[in-house]
Amino acid sequence: MPEAEHPEDFVAGLRALTTRYPKKRGAMLPILHALQERRGHLTPADLRLAGELTDVAPADVYSVVTFYTMFRMRPAGRFPIGVCRNIACWVNGSERITATLREELGIAPGERTADGRFSLAEVECLGSCGTAPCLEIDGRYFENLTPDKVRALIAELMSREPEPARAAR
Amino acid sequence: MEIYLSNEFAREGPLLLAEARAKGRYRTAQRVFESLKPEQVVDEVKNAGLRGRGGAWFPTGIKWSFMPKELKGPSYLVVNADEGEPGTFKDRRIMEKDPHLLLEGILISCFAIRAETAFLYIRGEYRTAHDVLADAIAELEAAGLLGGDLFGTNRRVNVVLHRGAGAYICGEETALLNSLEGRRGEPRPKPPFPAVWGAFGRPTSVNNVETLANVPAILERGSVWYKAMGTPLAPGNLLFGVSGAVERPGCYELPLGTTARELIDKHAGGVRGGGRMRAFVPGGASTGFLPPDKIDVPMDPESLKKAGTMLGTGGIVVIPEEVSIVDAERIFSRFFRHETCGQCSPCREGAAWSDQIVARFQRGEGRREDLALLEEIMRGSKGMTICVFPDAFAGPLATALTQFRGEFERRMAPAAPAATSEPTTHA
Repeated sequence: MPEAEHPEDFVAGLRALTTRYPKKRGAMLPILHALQERRGHLTPADLRLAGELTDVAPADVYSVVTFYTMFRMRPAGRFPIGVCRNIACWVNGSERITATLREELGIAPGERTADGRFSLAEVECLGSCGTAPCLEIDGRYFENLTPDKVRALIAELMSREPEPARAAR
Repeated sequence: MEIYLSNEFAREGPLLLAEARAKGRYRTAQRVFESLKPEQVVDEVKNAGLRGRGGAWFPTGIKWSFMPKELKGPSYLVVNADEGEPGTFKDRRIMEKDPHLLLEGILISCFAIRAETAFLYIRGEYRTAHDVLADAIAELEAAGLLGGDLFGTNRRVNVVLHRGAGAYICGEETALLNSLEGRRGEPRPKPPFPAVWGAFGRPTSVNNVETLANVPAILERGSVWYKAMGTPLAPGNLLFGVSGAVERPGCYELPLGTTARELIDKHAGGVRGGGRMRAFVPGGASTGFLPPDKIDVPMDPESLKKAGTMLGTGGIVVIPEEVSIVDAERIFSRFFRHETCGQCSPCREGAAWSDQIVARFQRGEGRREDLALLEEIMRGSKGMTICVFPDAFAGPLATALTQFRGEFERRMAPAAPAATSEPTTHA
């Protein structure tokens, strides 16, 4: 998205989040989530805006952003893929899932495809141990995976336009 | 055997409010609001012997009794839905399938501790559960079952849904409070405990999702009924998880004290492909590894303590015979290294160093003195930090080293060099 600023009604929505908490700062994580949904990552301007809305210094906002794995300050793919690498998924073949994705996408964990469509990451336990192995894309879980299912999923995502960003709730 | 937590787990989507009410949901909450006093609810939960299902097993009624009885300002209920212990997926099931079971528990619990606001802190990755809960809360608001003048009693409760952003440590209750306040999720020194100084500096009770889901049944059927299930010291049913190398992985509601053998062999269909197990994790990553000869251990806090570990979350993970415990422990040491919050040096350094040393064994380059070094790291970090995270990373490491020591010895460099020399590498 090329726009430098966020629309006024969107910022008003962020400001409204601060009234749900006894102290404005409580809205920090919800505001950061909503900002990240706009572009898929957070910019320095986003951090300044989050700080202004919550009365927190930008450096302090930065220290919060860097604490949590779900916040990112570099662009991810339009489909950011997170493959669980913890125990139940690993025992059920998560390494083969990651290997299949590397092969299909031509990238390693931590990288993004040249067309910007996919990025790949290995993540910790997603709470999907009973339906392992598992991967997630923007909070959507794909479970009981096999290499064939992964190949079918990638083929499907290659042919599809991404869903519009969801509204913050 | 009675089921009261998982009745709706087999359904496709979530149980919606209309159907939930037709099944009698919120009748117990209504009776509590109309005819009981907060102390009576606390007493019933105390008498039932309900203990926290997040893994610490602290008595819930006692925790609630620390909350102030005379209010000079707001108190809060904080719902810990930051489920992240590897091997654990029960709270997700409750929230995705039966949100009103949790929400009725929240209403009754808020009444018991005189809180008008519940903050429901859900891990950021649980988007589906979050959306189901958001819809369920909207249903309740529309039906007048949240907000002011509940059941015509002049009391109010509202629920604020709050998403985490990916940090295992936020399952620790004071880290969760800092995260809720918009800060880094670093645990707080205690005292003060949350009942005195909790969310936003106010008295707060932090309770796990499954714990709160037990509350409606206790108030509906009574503590005598409840205590008949489970063990004398740990009554009730638990949502056990069984995952890893088993035929039928899943979430099984059974009385506390059910043996690991019954869970693994009977309910989960035994080891995958009729194979054998090398070990099982009894209750999430931090409970470590037990050898197969411990499979008859009853799954309750006291029995697992006797077996040298903890019940944790009751999430069993079966490790198949073909997997080495060194490799399995590396999964955990890497996890804990990634998840230490970093504020206490013994934990930050201990988690990182133990992972590097386990990695050395994994490469077949372990050194003779490394085993003692790992033990020293555990001694030097447990009890030396603000929270119990070092106990968590020491759980699997200590059990791996005591129960499966031979596997580490077999991964040592052949001519184990002295600590000062370069490690031997192998092609």
